[in-house]
Amino acid sequence: MKNNMEVIMLMPEQGQKNKQVIPAPGPGGGSGPGPQAPQVEKPNTEEILKRMRKVDPDQARRYRQRTGE
Amino acid sequence: MEKKRLVPWSVYFGLETEFGISVLENADIDVVEESIHLVRSASQLGSPNLWDYTKEDPHQDARGFRARELRQDADEANFFSQDRQRPYSFEEIKSDFVLRNGARLYNDHTHPEYSTAECSTLIELIAQDKAGERILEECAKASSKKRRHTVCMYKNNTDFAGHSYGCHENYLIPRLIPWDRLVEGMLPFLITRQIYAGAGKLGWEREDHGMPGGYQISQRADFFTELVGIDTMNRRPIINTRDEPHANPKLYRRFHVILGDANLSEFSTWLKVGTTALVLEALQYERIPKRFFLADPLYAHRSISRDPKFRWEIELAQGGRTTAIELQSDYADWVARYVDLDHPEKEKVWKAWKETLQTLATNPYALKDRLDWMAKFWLLQTFREDQNLSWEDPWLQSLDLEYHLVDRSRGLFYALESAGDIIRLTTDEDICQAIQQPPSSSRAFVRGKCIQRFSKDLINVQWDYIAFRFNGQTYRLDLASAFPGVDLEVYCEVIDNAKSVGDIVKNLNLKPMGN
Repeated sequence: MKNNMEVIMLMPEQGQKNKQVIPAPGPGGGSGPGPQAPQVEKPNTEEILKRMRKVDPDQARRYRQRTGE
Repeated sequence: MEKKRLVPWSVYFGLETEFGISVLENADIDVVEESIHLVRSASQLGSPNLWDYTKEDPHQDARGFRARELRQDADEANFFSQDRQRPYSFEEIKSDFVLRNGARLYNDHTHPEYSTAECSTLIELIAQDKAGERILEECAKASSKKRRHTVCMYKNNTDFAGHSYGCHENYLIPRLIPWDRLVEGMLPFLITRQIYAGAGKLGWEREDHGMPGGYQISQRADFFTELVGIDTMNRRPIINTRDEPHANPKLYRRFHVILGDANLSEFSTWLKVGTTALVLEALQYERIPKRFFLADPLYAHRSISRDPKFRWEIELAQGGRTTAIELQSDYADWVARYVDLDHPEKEKVWKAWKETLQTLATNPYALKDRLDWMAKFWLLQTFREDQNLSWEDPWLQSLDLEYHLVDRSRGLFYALESAGDIIRLTTDEDICQAIQQPPSSSRAFVRGKCIQRFSKDLINVQWDYIAFRFNGQTYRLDLASAFPGVDLEVYCEVIDNAKSVGDIVKNLNLKPMGN
Protein backbone atom coordinates (compact mmCIF):
# COMPACT_ATOMS: atom_id res chain seq x y z
CA MET A 1 0.00 0.00 0.00
CA LYS A 2 1.44 3.37 -0.96
CA ASN A 3 1.49 6.14 1.55
CA ASN A 4 -0.26 9.47 0.87
CA MET A 5 2.76 11.25 -0.49
CA GLU A 6 3.51 8.50 -3.00
CA VAL A 7 0.04 8.78 -4.47
CA ILE A 8 0.16 12.56 -4.59
CA MET A 9 3.55 12.48 -6.28
CA LEU A 10 2.50 9.77 -8.70
CA MET A 11 -0.36 11.65 -10.31
CA PRO A 12 1.47 14.78 -11.55
CA GLU A 13 4.31 12.63 -12.83
CA GLN A 14 1.87 10.63 -14.90
CA GLY A 15 0.42 13.89 -16.11
CA GLN A 16 3.73 14.97 -17.61
CA LYS A 17 3.65 12.13 -20.08
CA ASN A 18 1.14 13.98 -22.17
CA LYS A 19 1.50 17.64 -22.87
CA GLN A 20 -1.79 18.32 -24.53
CA VAL A 21 -3.50 21.58 -25.21
CA ILE A 22 -6.94 22.23 -23.75
CA PRO A 23 -9.37 22.81 -26.62
CA ALA A 24 -9.41 26.49 -27.46
CA PRO A 25 -12.58 28.50 -27.01
CA GLY A 26 -14.82 28.13 -29.99
CA PRO A 27 -18.29 27.26 -30.99
CA GLY A 28 -19.72 24.33 -29.11
CA GLY A 29 -22.84 22.53 -29.89
CA GLY A 30 -22.05 19.01 -30.89
CA SER A 31 -21.85 19.89 -34.55
CA GLY A 32 -19.67 17.82 -36.83
CA PRO A 33 -19.17 14.12 -36.42
CA GLY A 34 -20.28 13.98 -32.76
CA PRO A 35 -23.61 12.66 -31.52
CA GLN A 36 -26.49 13.39 -33.80
CA ALA A 37 -29.86 14.78 -32.77
CA PRO A 38 -32.38 11.96 -32.49
CA GLN A 39 -35.15 11.63 -35.01
CA VAL A 40 -37.93 12.13 -32.51
CA GLU A 41 -41.06 14.20 -32.55
CA LYS A 42 -40.25 17.72 -31.43
CA PRO A 43 -42.23 18.77 -28.36
CA ASN A 44 -44.22 22.01 -28.44
CA THR A 45 -41.52 24.58 -27.83
CA GLU A 46 -43.50 27.75 -28.48
CA GLU A 47 -44.38 28.44 -24.85
CA ILE A 48 -40.86 28.08 -23.62
CA LEU A 49 -39.45 30.07 -26.53
CA LYS A 50 -41.87 32.84 -25.61
CA ARG A 51 -40.46 32.87 -22.09
CA MET A 52 -36.89 32.80 -23.40
CA ARG A 53 -37.49 35.76 -25.71
CA LYS A 54 -38.40 37.84 -22.65
CA VAL A 55 -34.99 37.31 -21.04
CA ASP A 56 -32.82 40.42 -21.15
CA PRO A 57 -29.87 39.68 -23.50
CA ASP A 58 -27.53 41.64 -21.21
CA GLN A 59 -28.54 39.92 -18.01
CA ALA A 60 -25.45 37.71 -17.70
CA ARG A 61 -23.13 40.63 -18.45
CA ARG A 62 -24.52 42.51 -15.45
CA TYR A 63 -24.51 39.49 -13.11
CA ARG A 64 -21.49 39.73 -10.80
CA GLN A 65 -20.82 37.70 -7.67
CA ARG A 66 -18.08 37.36 -5.11
CA THR A 67 -15.99 34.21 -5.31
CA GLY A 68 -17.35 31.70 -2.81
CA GLU A 69 -16.19 28.38 -1.57
CA MET B 1 -40.49 6.87 -7.60
CA GLU B 2 -42.85 4.47 -5.85
CA LYS B 3 -43.47 4.83 -2.13
CA LYS B 4 -41.68 2.02 -0.38
CA ARG B 5 -40.21 1.62 3.05
CA LEU B 6 -36.99 3.60 3.00
CA VAL B 7 -33.98 1.45 3.72
CA PRO B 8 -31.15 3.62 5.04
CA TRP B 9 -27.65 3.51 3.58
CA SER B 10 -24.89 2.74 6.03
CA VAL B 11 -23.55 6.30 5.87
CA TYR B 12 -24.95 9.81 5.76
CA PHE B 13 -24.79 12.22 2.86
CA GLY B 14 -25.63 15.89 2.49
CA LEU B 15 -25.34 18.88 0.15
CA GLU B 16 -24.27 22.45 0.87
CA THR B 17 -25.23 24.92 -1.84
CA GLU B 18 -24.16 28.53 -2.22
CA PHE B 19 -26.69 30.52 -4.26
CA GLY B 20 -26.05 33.46 -6.52
CA ILE B 21 -28.04 36.60 -5.79
CA SER B 22 -28.93 39.68 -7.81
CA VAL B 23 -31.50 42.42 -8.04
CA LEU B 24 -33.37 42.77 -11.31
CA GLU B 25 -33.68 46.55 -11.25
CA ASN B 26 -30.13 47.33 -10.13
CA ALA B 27 -27.04 45.37 -11.14
CA ASP B 28 -24.79 47.37 -8.82
CA ILE B 29 -26.34 46.28 -5.57
CA ASP B 30 -24.25 45.09 -2.62
CA VAL B 31 -24.70 41.32 -2.80
CA VAL B 32 -23.69 40.80 0.82
CA GLU B 33 -26.29 43.28 2.07
CA GLU B 34 -28.93 41.56 -0.06
CA SER B 35 -27.81 38.18 1.21
CA ILE B 36 -28.14 39.27 4.85
CA HIS B 37 -31.67 40.54 4.33
CA LEU B 38 -32.64 37.51 2.31
CA VAL B 39 -31.49 34.91 4.84
CA ARG B 40 -33.10 36.78 7.73
CA SER B 41 -36.48 36.48 6.06
CA ALA B 42 -36.44 32.74 6.83
CA SER B 43 -37.07 33.39 10.52
CA GLN B 44 -40.36 31.55 10.65
CA LEU B 45 -38.64 28.29 9.68
CA GLY B 46 -35.85 28.15 12.21
CA SER B 47 -33.97 29.48 15.21
CA PRO B 48 -31.16 32.03 14.86
CA ASN B 49 -27.64 32.22 16.28
CA LEU B 50 -27.42 28.72 17.69
CA TRP B 51 -24.59 27.38 15.55
CA ASP B 52 -21.45 26.55 17.52
CA TYR B 53 -18.54 27.83 15.42
CA THR B 54 -15.97 27.03 18.09
CA LYS B 55 -15.96 23.39 17.04
CA GLU B 56 -15.32 24.02 13.33
CA ASP B 57 -11.79 23.66 11.99
CA PRO B 58 -11.43 23.91 8.20
CA HIS B 59 -7.61 23.75 8.61
CA GLN B 60 -7.62 20.11 9.72
CA ASP B 61 -6.12 18.09 6.87
CA ALA B 62 -6.98 14.46 6.09
CA ARG B 63 -3.33 13.80 5.26
CA GLY B 64 -2.66 13.85 8.99
CA PHE B 65 -1.72 17.43 9.83
CA ARG B 66 -3.25 20.82 10.49
CA ALA B 67 -2.66 23.37 7.73
CA ARG B 68 -1.02 26.51 9.11
CA GLU B 69 -2.96 28.66 6.68
CA LEU B 70 -5.28 28.29 3.73
CA ARG B 71 -4.83 30.23 0.51
CA GLN B 72 -8.27 31.65 1.06
CA ASP B 73 -7.44 33.01 4.53
CA ALA B 74 -6.34 36.35 3.06
CA ASP B 75 -9.51 36.61 0.95
CA GLU B 76 -11.65 35.65 3.92
CA ALA B 77 -9.88 38.22 6.12
CA ASN B 78 -10.40 40.84 3.43
CA PHE B 79 -14.11 40.03 3.15
CA PHE B 80 -14.38 40.01 6.93
CA SER B 81 -12.68 43.39 7.16
CA GLN B 82 -15.06 44.85 4.55
CA ASP B 83 -18.04 43.35 6.29
CA ARG B 84 -16.99 44.82 9.63
CA GLN B 85 -17.60 48.26 8.18
CA ARG B 86 -21.27 47.41 7.92
CA PRO B 87 -23.67 48.47 10.66
CA TYR B 88 -24.23 44.86 11.71
CA SER B 89 -22.79 42.51 14.33
CA PHE B 90 -21.07 39.24 13.34
CA GLU B 91 -24.25 37.36 14.26
CA GLU B 92 -26.38 39.67 12.15
CA ILE B 93 -24.09 39.27 9.14
CA LYS B 94 -24.01 35.51 9.47
CA SER B 95 -27.76 35.33 10.11
CA ASP B 96 -27.31 31.71 10.96
CA PHE B 97 -30.50 29.69 11.21
CA VAL B 98 -30.92 26.08 12.23
CA LEU B 99 -34.13 25.15 10.48
CA ARG B 100 -37.02 23.04 11.66
CA ASN B 101 -36.17 20.46 8.97
CA GLY B 102 -32.70 19.97 10.46
CA ALA B 103 -30.95 22.02 7.76
CA ARG B 104 -28.81 25.15 8.08
CA LEU B 105 -29.35 28.43 6.26
CA TYR B 106 -26.85 31.23 6.66
CA ASN B 107 -24.88 33.94 4.97
CA ASP B 108 -21.45 32.60 4.11
CA HIS B 109 -19.91 36.12 3.86
CA THR B 110 -20.62 36.14 0.17
CA HIS B 111 -23.64 33.99 -0.61
CA PRO B 112 -26.78 32.61 0.98
CA GLU B 113 -25.90 29.00 1.75
CA TYR B 114 -28.29 26.15 2.39
CA SER B 115 -26.88 22.96 3.94
CA THR B 116 -29.29 20.07 3.82
CA ALA B 117 -29.81 17.96 6.86
CA GLU B 118 -27.75 14.79 6.71
CA CYS B 119 -29.75 12.02 5.06
CA SER B 120 -29.39 8.26 4.90
CA THR B 121 -31.62 7.72 1.87
CA LEU B 122 -31.18 9.41 -1.48
CA ILE B 123 -34.82 10.24 -1.95
CA GLU B 124 -34.87 12.12 1.36
CA LEU B 125 -31.77 14.00 0.24
CA ILE B 126 -33.43 15.05 -3.01
CA ALA B 127 -36.50 16.27 -1.12
CA GLN B 128 -34.33 18.15 1.40
CA ASP B 129 -32.29 19.73 -1.41
CA LYS B 130 -35.45 20.86 -3.20
CA ALA B 131 -36.81 22.14 0.14
CA GLY B 132 -33.80 24.47 0.18
CA GLU B 133 -34.73 25.83 -3.26
CA ARG B 134 -38.30 26.46 -2.15
CA ILE B 135 -37.18 28.13 1.08
CA LEU B 136 -34.89 30.46 -0.86
CA GLU B 137 -37.59 31.13 -3.41
CA GLU B 138 -39.88 32.24 -0.57
CA CYS B 139 -37.08 34.25 1.05
CA ALA B 140 -36.51 36.07 -2.26
CA LYS B 141 -40.21 36.94 -2.46
CA ALA B 142 -40.30 38.17 1.14
CA SER B 143 -37.09 40.15 0.75
CA SER B 144 -38.29 41.64 -2.56
CA LYS B 145 -41.45 42.88 -0.90
CA LYS B 146 -39.62 44.36 2.05
CA ARG B 147 -36.87 46.00 0.01
CA ARG B 148 -39.11 47.05 -2.85
CA HIS B 149 -37.09 45.51 -5.63
CA THR B 150 -36.90 42.09 -7.27
CA VAL B 151 -34.40 39.76 -5.61
CA CYS B 152 -33.31 36.90 -7.89
CA MET B 153 -31.77 33.67 -6.58
CA TYR B 154 -29.71 31.41 -8.83
CA LYS B 155 -28.76 27.82 -8.08
CA ASN B 156 -25.65 27.85 -10.24
CA ASN B 157 -21.88 28.06 -9.78
CA THR B 158 -20.57 30.96 -11.81
CA ASP B 159 -21.07 34.58 -12.86
CA PHE B 160 -19.32 33.89 -16.21
CA ALA B 161 -16.60 36.40 -15.25
CA GLY B 162 -14.31 34.11 -13.28
CA HIS B 163 -16.10 34.04 -9.93
CA SER B 164 -17.31 30.65 -8.82
CA TYR B 165 -19.18 29.39 -5.79
CA GLY B 166 -19.81 25.83 -4.80
CA CYS B 167 -22.21 23.01 -4.25
CA HIS B 168 -20.29 20.77 -1.88
CA GLU B 169 -21.19 17.15 -1.25
CA ASN B 170 -20.50 15.39 2.02
CA TYR B 171 -20.24 11.65 2.48
CA LEU B 172 -19.66 10.21 5.91
CA ILE B 173 -17.57 7.11 5.37
CA PRO B 174 -15.62 4.68 7.54
CA ARG B 175 -12.18 5.98 8.47
CA LEU B 176 -10.80 2.52 7.90
CA ILE B 177 -10.61 3.23 4.15
CA PRO B 178 -6.96 4.22 3.69
CA TRP B 179 -6.63 7.85 2.52
CA ASP B 180 -4.41 6.99 -0.46
CA ARG B 181 -6.95 4.40 -1.63
CA LEU B 182 -9.62 7.09 -1.51
CA VAL B 183 -7.54 9.57 -3.48
CA GLU B 184 -6.58 7.21 -6.28
CA GLY B 185 -10.06 5.67 -6.35
CA MET B 186 -12.01 8.91 -6.49
CA LEU B 187 -9.84 10.96 -8.89
CA PRO B 188 -10.80 9.26 -12.17
CA PHE B 189 -14.37 8.80 -10.98
CA LEU B 190 -14.99 12.43 -10.00
CA ILE B 191 -13.35 13.74 -13.17
CA THR B 192 -15.50 11.60 -15.45
CA ARG B 193 -18.87 11.70 -13.64
CA GLN B 194 -19.52 15.21 -15.00
CA ILE B 195 -20.90 13.56 -18.15
CA TYR B 196 -24.12 12.97 -16.20
CA ALA B 197 -23.69 15.31 -13.22
CA GLY B 198 -22.69 18.55 -14.95
CA ALA B 199 -25.04 21.52 -14.99
CA GLY B 200 -23.74 22.88 -18.32
CA LYS B 201 -22.26 26.30 -19.08
CA LEU B 202 -21.81 28.58 -22.05
CA GLY B 203 -18.37 30.18 -22.01
CA TRP B 204 -14.86 29.66 -20.71
CA GLU B 205 -13.44 31.04 -17.46
CA ARG B 206 -10.42 31.27 -15.25
CA GLU B 207 -10.07 33.10 -11.92
CA ASP B 208 -11.45 36.63 -12.26
CA HIS B 209 -11.71 36.29 -16.01
CA GLY B 210 -14.40 35.19 -18.42
CA MET B 211 -14.22 34.82 -22.19
CA PRO B 212 -16.51 33.78 -25.00
CA GLY B 213 -16.42 30.10 -25.72
CA GLY B 214 -18.44 27.09 -26.60
CA TYR B 215 -20.77 25.04 -24.50
CA GLN B 216 -19.22 22.90 -21.79
CA ILE B 217 -20.87 20.33 -19.57
CA SER B 218 -19.45 21.42 -16.20
CA GLN B 219 -19.85 24.80 -14.50
CA ARG B 220 -16.91 24.19 -12.18
CA ALA B 221 -14.24 22.45 -14.28
CA ASP B 222 -12.64 25.76 -15.30
CA PHE B 223 -11.76 26.48 -11.67
CA PHE B 224 -9.75 23.39 -10.63
CA THR B 225 -5.99 23.60 -10.78
CA GLU B 226 -4.73 21.09 -8.17
CA LEU B 227 -5.07 17.36 -7.71
CA VAL B 228 -5.16 17.22 -3.92
CA GLY B 229 -5.37 19.99 -1.33
CA ILE B 230 -7.29 21.59 1.50
CA ASP B 231 -8.28 24.89 -0.14
CA THR B 232 -11.76 25.53 -1.44
CA MET B 233 -11.67 29.12 -2.77
CA ASN B 234 -8.31 29.45 -4.53
CA ARG B 235 -6.31 26.84 -6.43
CA ARG B 236 -9.13 24.41 -5.87
CA PRO B 237 -8.25 20.69 -5.73
CA ILE B 238 -10.13 17.80 -7.30
CA ILE B 239 -9.69 15.89 -4.02
CA ASN B 240 -10.31 18.10 -1.02
CA THR B 241 -8.54 17.11 2.18
CA ARG B 242 -10.64 18.99 4.73
CA ASP B 243 -11.05 16.63 7.64
CA GLU B 244 -14.02 17.54 9.82
CA PRO B 245 -15.99 14.34 10.27
CA HIS B 246 -18.78 15.82 12.42
CA ALA B 247 -19.03 12.32 13.87
CA ASN B 248 -16.82 10.04 15.95
CA PRO B 249 -13.42 10.85 14.38
CA LYS B 250 -11.99 7.46 15.24
CA LEU B 251 -14.62 5.70 13.19
CA TYR B 252 -15.67 8.16 10.50
CA ARG B 253 -14.33 10.49 7.89
CA ARG B 254 -16.35 13.09 5.97
CA PHE B 255 -15.34 12.92 2.31
CA HIS B 256 -15.85 16.48 1.13
CA VAL B 257 -16.42 16.85 -2.64
CA ILE B 258 -16.08 20.41 -3.94
CA LEU B 259 -15.86 19.97 -7.72
CA GLY B 260 -19.50 19.16 -8.42
CA ASP B 261 -22.08 21.47 -9.98
CA ALA B 262 -25.32 22.53 -8.32
CA ASN B 263 -28.06 20.56 -10.07
CA LEU B 264 -31.66 21.54 -10.57
CA SER B 265 -32.64 18.20 -12.06
CA GLU B 266 -33.61 15.79 -9.31
CA PHE B 267 -32.34 12.92 -11.42
CA SER B 268 -28.92 14.54 -11.86
CA THR B 269 -28.53 15.09 -8.11
CA TRP B 270 -29.78 11.57 -7.36
CA LEU B 271 -27.38 9.94 -9.81
CA LYS B 272 -24.45 12.16 -8.82
CA VAL B 273 -24.73 11.46 -5.10
CA GLY B 274 -25.83 7.85 -5.52
CA THR B 275 -22.99 6.76 -7.79
CA THR B 276 -20.44 8.59 -5.64
CA ALA B 277 -21.75 6.84 -2.53
CA LEU B 278 -21.57 3.48 -4.34
CA VAL B 279 -17.94 3.98 -5.34
CA LEU B 280 -17.05 5.09 -1.80
CA GLU B 281 -18.73 1.97 -0.44
CA ALA B 282 -16.80 -0.29 -2.81
CA LEU B 283 -13.53 1.37 -1.77
CA GLN B 284 -14.08 -0.07 1.70
CA TYR B 285 -13.26 -3.45 0.21
CA GLU B 286 -10.73 -2.89 -2.53
CA ARG B 287 -8.66 -0.31 -4.35
CA ILE B 288 -9.47 0.46 -7.97
CA PRO B 289 -7.59 -1.38 -10.71
CA LYS B 290 -4.55 0.57 -11.94
CA ARG B 291 -5.97 0.51 -15.45
CA PHE B 292 -8.48 3.17 -14.28
CA PHE B 293 -5.71 5.72 -13.57
CA LEU B 294 -5.69 8.79 -15.80
CA ALA B 295 -2.54 10.09 -17.48
CA ASP B 296 -3.34 13.72 -16.77
CA PRO B 297 -6.35 14.17 -14.48
CA LEU B 298 -6.41 17.99 -14.57
CA TYR B 299 -6.25 18.08 -18.34
CA ALA B 300 -8.93 15.36 -18.58
CA HIS B 301 -11.20 17.30 -16.24
CA ARG B 302 -11.35 20.33 -18.53
CA SER B 303 -11.10 18.55 -21.85
CA ILE B 304 -14.11 16.37 -21.03
CA SER B 305 -16.08 19.43 -20.02
CA ARG B 306 -15.16 21.31 -23.19
CA ASP B 307 -15.43 18.56 -25.79
CA PRO B 308 -17.93 19.96 -28.33
CA LYS B 309 -18.38 16.53 -29.89
CA PHE B 310 -19.37 14.79 -26.66
CA ARG B 311 -16.84 12.02 -27.25
CA TRP B 312 -14.94 12.64 -23.99
CA GLU B 313 -11.79 10.76 -24.90
CA ILE B 314 -9.11 10.51 -22.23
CA GLU B 315 -5.56 9.24 -21.96
CA LEU B 316 -4.86 6.43 -19.49
CA ALA B 317 -1.77 6.34 -17.27
CA GLN B 318 -0.88 2.82 -18.40
CA GLY B 319 -1.11 3.88 -22.03
CA GLY B 320 -3.91 3.94 -24.55
CA ARG B 321 -7.11 5.90 -24.61
CA THR B 322 -10.62 5.37 -23.39
CA THR B 323 -13.69 7.57 -22.97
CA ALA B 324 -15.40 8.97 -19.90
CA ILE B 325 -18.39 6.76 -20.72
CA GLU B 326 -16.29 3.60 -20.88
CA LEU B 327 -14.39 4.44 -17.71
CA GLN B 328 -17.61 5.18 -15.82
CA SER B 329 -19.00 1.90 -17.11
CA ASP B 330 -15.88 0.11 -15.87
CA TYR B 331 -16.43 1.75 -12.47
CA ALA B 332 -20.04 0.54 -12.41
CA ASP B 333 -18.98 -3.05 -13.21
CA TRP B 334 -16.26 -2.88 -10.57
CA VAL B 335 -18.68 -1.50 -7.94
CA ALA B 336 -21.11 -4.36 -8.60
CA ARG B 337 -18.49 -6.81 -7.34
CA TYR B 338 -18.43 -5.25 -3.85
CA VAL B 339 -21.69 -3.44 -3.13
CA ASP B 340 -24.87 -5.19 -2.05
CA LEU B 341 -27.21 -4.36 -4.91
CA ASP B 342 -30.13 -6.06 -3.17
CA HIS B 343 -30.56 -2.76 -1.34
CA PRO B 344 -33.48 -1.22 -3.28
CA GLU B 345 -32.12 2.31 -3.66
CA LYS B 346 -28.58 1.14 -4.49
CA GLU B 347 -29.94 -1.20 -7.11
CA LYS B 348 -31.98 1.61 -8.71
CA VAL B 349 -29.01 3.94 -8.80
CA TRP B 350 -26.74 1.28 -10.26
CA LYS B 351 -29.20 0.38 -13.02
CA ALA B 352 -29.85 4.05 -13.83
CA TRP B 353 -26.09 4.61 -13.95
CA LYS B 354 -25.60 1.86 -16.54
CA GLU B 355 -28.61 2.95 -18.58
CA THR B 356 -27.54 6.58 -18.56
CA LEU B 357 -24.06 5.67 -19.78
CA GLN B 358 -25.49 3.52 -22.54
CA THR B 359 -27.78 6.34 -23.65
CA LEU B 360 -24.94 8.86 -23.53
CA ALA B 361 -23.03 6.60 -25.92
CA THR B 362 -25.85 6.15 -28.38
CA ASN B 363 -28.23 9.08 -28.13
CA PRO B 364 -27.30 11.72 -25.52
CA TYR B 365 -30.11 14.02 -26.66
CA ALA B 366 -32.58 11.52 -25.24
CA LEU B 367 -31.33 12.53 -21.77
CA LYS B 368 -32.62 16.09 -22.02
CA ASP B 369 -35.44 15.12 -19.67
CA ARG B 370 -33.04 14.19 -16.85
CA LEU B 371 -29.53 15.65 -17.17
CA ASP B 372 -29.12 19.37 -16.52
CA TRP B 373 -26.33 19.92 -19.02
CA MET B 374 -28.29 18.28 -21.81
CA ALA B 375 -31.61 19.97 -20.95
CA LYS B 376 -29.86 23.35 -21.05
CA PHE B 377 -27.95 22.50 -24.22
CA TRP B 378 -31.19 21.57 -25.93
CA LEU B 379 -32.83 24.83 -24.79
CA LEU B 380 -29.96 26.98 -26.02
CA GLN B 381 -29.71 25.09 -29.29
CA THR B 382 -33.45 25.47 -29.89
CA PHE B 383 -33.38 29.18 -29.13
CA ARG B 384 -30.24 29.72 -31.19
CA GLU B 385 -31.92 28.21 -34.24
CA ASP B 386 -35.13 30.13 -33.58
CA GLN B 387 -33.32 33.48 -33.39
CA ASN B 388 -30.49 32.63 -35.79
CA LEU B 389 -27.83 33.47 -33.20
CA SER B 390 -24.18 32.48 -33.07
CA TRP B 391 -22.92 30.51 -30.05
CA GLU B 392 -21.01 33.64 -28.97
CA ASP B 393 -24.16 35.74 -28.66
CA PRO B 394 -24.41 37.07 -25.06
CA TRP B 395 -28.15 36.46 -25.09
CA LEU B 396 -27.44 32.72 -24.83
CA GLN B 397 -25.35 33.25 -21.69
CA SER B 398 -28.24 35.19 -20.17
CA LEU B 399 -30.50 32.24 -20.93
CA ASP B 400 -27.93 29.95 -19.33
CA LEU B 401 -28.24 32.06 -16.16
CA GLU B 402 -32.01 32.09 -16.36
CA TYR B 403 -32.05 28.28 -16.43
CA HIS B 404 -30.90 28.40 -12.79
CA LEU B 405 -33.39 30.94 -11.46
CA VAL B 406 -35.22 29.33 -8.53
CA ASP B 407 -38.31 31.47 -9.06
CA ARG B 408 -40.57 28.83 -10.58
CA SER B 409 -42.69 31.36 -12.44
CA ARG B 410 -39.68 32.62 -14.43
CA GLY B 411 -36.81 30.11 -14.28
CA LEU B 412 -36.17 28.14 -17.46
CA PHE B 413 -35.51 24.84 -15.71
CA TYR B 414 -38.91 25.18 -14.09
CA ALA B 415 -40.47 26.04 -17.44
CA LEU B 416 -39.27 22.67 -18.68
CA GLU B 417 -40.36 20.91 -15.54
CA SER B 418 -43.85 22.40 -15.51
CA ALA B 419 -44.25 21.41 -19.16
CA GLY B 420 -43.54 17.82 -18.12
CA ASP B 421 -40.25 17.76 -20.00
CA ILE B 422 -38.16 16.91 -16.91
CA ILE B 423 -38.37 13.68 -14.93
CA ARG B 424 -39.35 14.07 -11.27
CA LEU B 425 -38.34 11.77 -8.43
CA THR B 426 -40.24 13.57 -5.67
CA THR B 427 -43.72 15.00 -5.50
CA ASP B 428 -44.65 18.54 -4.46
CA GLU B 429 -46.02 17.00 -1.26
CA ASP B 430 -42.63 15.37 -0.52
CA ILE B 431 -40.97 18.77 -0.85
CA CYS B 432 -43.57 20.55 1.32
CA GLN B 433 -43.01 17.87 3.94
CA ALA B 434 -39.23 18.32 3.69
CA ILE B 435 -39.56 22.08 4.27
CA GLN B 436 -41.38 21.46 7.53
CA GLN B 437 -39.93 18.19 8.79
CA PRO B 438 -36.46 16.65 9.09
CA PRO B 439 -35.54 13.39 7.34
CA SER B 440 -36.83 10.46 9.33
CA SER B 441 -33.81 8.19 9.14
CA SER B 442 -30.89 10.29 10.34
CA ARG B 443 -29.80 12.19 13.42
CA ALA B 444 -31.20 15.32 11.76
CA PHE B 445 -34.58 14.12 13.00
CA VAL B 446 -33.43 14.83 16.56
CA ARG B 447 -32.07 18.28 15.62
CA GLY B 448 -35.18 19.27 13.67
CA LYS B 449 -37.59 18.15 16.37
CA CYS B 450 -35.59 20.00 19.04
CA ILE B 451 -35.80 23.19 16.94
CA GLN B 452 -39.51 22.68 16.48
CA ARG B 453 -40.34 21.96 20.11
CA PHE B 454 -37.61 23.08 22.47
CA SER B 455 -35.82 25.96 20.74
CA LYS B 456 -36.08 28.24 23.78
CA ASP B 457 -34.07 25.70 25.79
CA LEU B 458 -31.26 25.27 23.25
CA ILE B 459 -27.85 26.82 23.89
CA ASN B 460 -26.00 25.71 20.79
CA VAL B 461 -26.11 23.20 17.99
CA GLN B 462 -23.59 21.39 15.80
CA TRP B 463 -24.05 18.60 13.29
CA ASP B 464 -23.14 16.02 15.93
CA TYR B 465 -24.54 17.47 19.16
CA ILE B 466 -27.22 19.63 20.69
CA ALA B 467 -26.67 21.49 23.97
CA PHE B 468 -29.56 22.71 26.07
CA ARG B 469 -30.36 24.23 29.42
CA PHE B 470 -32.46 22.50 32.04
CA ASN B 471 -32.90 23.56 35.66
CA GLY B 472 -29.91 25.90 35.43
CA GLN B 473 -27.59 23.18 34.14
CA THR B 474 -26.17 22.53 30.65
CA TYR B 475 -26.74 19.14 29.06
CA ARG B 476 -25.36 17.88 25.80
CA LEU B 477 -27.00 15.29 23.61
CA ASP B 478 -24.15 13.66 21.70
CA LEU B 479 -25.14 12.54 18.18
CA ALA B 480 -21.65 11.59 16.99
CA SER B 481 -22.53 7.91 16.86
CA ALA B 482 -26.27 8.17 16.27
CA PHE B 483 -26.92 6.06 13.19
CA PRO B 484 -29.81 3.85 12.16
CA GLY B 485 -29.46 0.73 14.26
CA VAL B 486 -27.02 2.45 16.65
CA ASP B 487 -28.72 4.71 19.22
CA LEU B 488 -30.70 6.69 16.64
CA GLU B 489 -34.03 4.92 17.05
CA VAL B 490 -33.85 5.35 20.84
CA TYR B 491 -33.07 9.08 20.52
CA CYS B 492 -35.91 9.58 18.03
CA GLU B 493 -38.41 7.83 20.26
CA VAL B 494 -37.37 9.84 23.31
CA ILE B 495 -37.57 13.14 21.41
CA ASP B 496 -40.93 12.19 19.92
CA ASN B 497 -42.42 11.43 23.32
CA ALA B 498 -40.74 14.19 25.34
CA LYS B 499 -43.02 16.85 26.80
CA SER B 500 -40.04 18.94 27.92
CA VAL B 501 -36.25 18.82 27.81
CA GLY B 502 -36.48 17.35 31.30
CA ASP B 503 -37.90 14.20 29.75
CA ILE B 504 -34.90 14.03 27.40
CA VAL B 505 -32.47 14.39 30.33
CA LYS B 506 -34.30 11.74 32.32
CA ASN B 507 -34.95 9.20 29.59
CA LEU B 508 -31.49 9.38 28.04
CA ASN B 509 -29.85 9.57 31.46
CA LEU B 510 -27.83 12.68 30.52
CA LYS B 511 -25.42 14.17 33.03
CA PRO B 512 -24.91 17.93 33.50
CA MET B 513 -21.74 19.29 31.89
CA GLY B 514 -20.98 21.80 34.61
CA ASN B 515 -21.10 25.53 34.05
